[in-house]
Amino acid sequence: MMDASLFTYALYLAAIYSLMAIGISLLWSSVGMVNMAHGATFAISGYAAYFAADWMMPLVKAAVDGPQSMTVLAILTMAVGIVSGAIFGIVIYLVAFLPIHDKPNFAVRSLIITLALNLASVQALLYFFGPQQKALPRFLGSGRMDLFGIPVRIDQLVTIVTTVVLLGLVLFWLRVSRKGLEIRAVMQNSEGAALCGISTRWTALPIMMLTGALAGVAAVLLSQNIFVNPTAGATPLIKGLTIALLGGLGSVPGAVLGAILIGFLEAATGIIPFLGQRYVLVVQFAFIVIMLVIRPRGLGGLLDETRE
Amino acid sequence: MTHQLLAVRGLSAGYGPLRVLHDIDFTISEGERLAIVGLNGHGKTTLFRAIMQLVGWQRGSVTFDGVEIGGTRSLGEGRYTPGIVRLGIAMTPQGDAIFPGLTVREHLDCGAHARSAWRERARRRERVYQLFPQLETLQDALVGKLSGGERRMVSIGRALMSDARLYLIDEPTLGLAPKVSRRVIEALVNIPIEGKAMVIAEQNVAVLTGAVDRMIGMHAGRLRGEVGHVGLE
Repeated sequence: MMDASLFTYALYLAAIYSLMAIGISLLWSSVGMVNMAHGATFAISGYAAYFAADWMMPLVKAAVDGPQSMTVLAILTMAVGIVSGAIFGIVIYLVAFLPIHDKPNFAVRSLIITLALNLASVQALLYFFGPQQKALPRFLGSGRMDLFGIPVRIDQLVTIVTTVVLLGLVLFWLRVSRKGLEIRAVMQNSEGAALCGISTRWTALPIMMLTGALAGVAAVLLSQNIFVNPTAGATPLIKGLTIALLGGLGSVPGAVLGAILIGFLEAATGIIPFLGQRYVLVVQFAFIVIMLVIRPRGLGGLLDETRE
Repeated sequence: MTHQLLAVRGLSAGYGPLRVLHDIDFTISEGERLAIVGLNGHGKTTLFRAIMQLVGWQRGSVTFDGVEIGGTRSLGEGRYTPGIVRLGIAMTPQGDAIFPGLTVREHLDCGAHARSAWRERARRRERVYQLFPQLETLQDALVGKLSGGERRMVSIGRALMSDARLYLIDEPTLGLAPKVSRRVIEALVNIPIEGKAMVIAEQNVAVLTGAVDRMIGMHAGRLRGEVGHVGLE
């Protein structure tokens, strides 16, 4: 039986995975690009957050007294993670989208370019910062608190709440703003959007900045539990990509549902005595393969039909 | 003398090795409603797509209000389409539920995407609702769930939301019941086109009788001359 702390852990994993998977899914459904550099965005944002936190910590501690200093540091570091993710999104746009978006076989070409960009970024991080792991300060808190009688780890709770609030804001912005309408129009039918005067060429830029920023948020939140290193983005990329596939590339609700399922599966697999943490990936991939055999379009995936 | 809005000269276009259009020549002036009529598969849609730069390749000249928008430059499909829309051409394509997951209101607002039009989108929507009253009650419904006739009205309404001066309406009655077809054509006739023009591509010649100023026949990718003068009643 899954206890309350395991339930929170599962939601925590689901939150991180959904940030990655939604980024990958949004980009595929809007500009038809599988972004293999999403992992590099994660790692670069993690490094930016680490150096920013390292530099800002004494300044913040001098300016703000008590436990509030950690809250201020968390907000500033999160902002740096978001901005650096968005900036790397611009780099991906300039390198892997703009020169080739109207050429034949864009999907395959962009996949190869983003994969190359990912490898180059990892090597650049190794060259400049070495293989040493960097630990961000635990600014989200390390203790537990009592929530409706359930002991919950504060960092996990903050991660879940932050993700829900941020994704809620993103979905709200997509629904009510002019730019959001443009993005949703491009997601549904890029030719139809062009006939409305909406240019995929220019709409792709805010989408890439947005998805990069989401990867930046994931990097800062996850860095409370893992170390930052040049290959830190590999696992989140693979998990994000497979969850986006499970959810049905292009479906935001599908990606969220996929992330929740995988989060619970990972948490549950870890406590099964004859499986444990070693078998988490095996069980996850087996589950995804079986799901895709049963439902090839994934859990959502309805937008694929629209794109065709 | 009326101002010539669109001039197509010697236009050939196609997809890959396939040449669909052969030396198309026609013009349309402000205040005119023109129909291109012909059977399915003879190039009417490709002609509209060529004007909107949505075909694989093209040769010849397309000028809109004196500005060359076609020609021989190497084009990515759809790359220049938003620019042509901003110049003032709106096309409603066949199979018109282009955004089935958007509501009627959002679909219409897409037509007013340009910054200047966006500010007055509410007023423009009212104008569309005057033309198609049933859309007002359906404004929060998903376009993909509407009937064929309602979707056609949304599609035409989307074109009217823009600052377009030339409307290209592709197969407005395709797949619609005769009664609904007549309502859609009536709505097209009721659209004020002072200083503007409209080209309708249609298979059903009978439904257009009395609704357009002139008709040009199209067969095997070539324009075959005027079908007959059919003045507005």
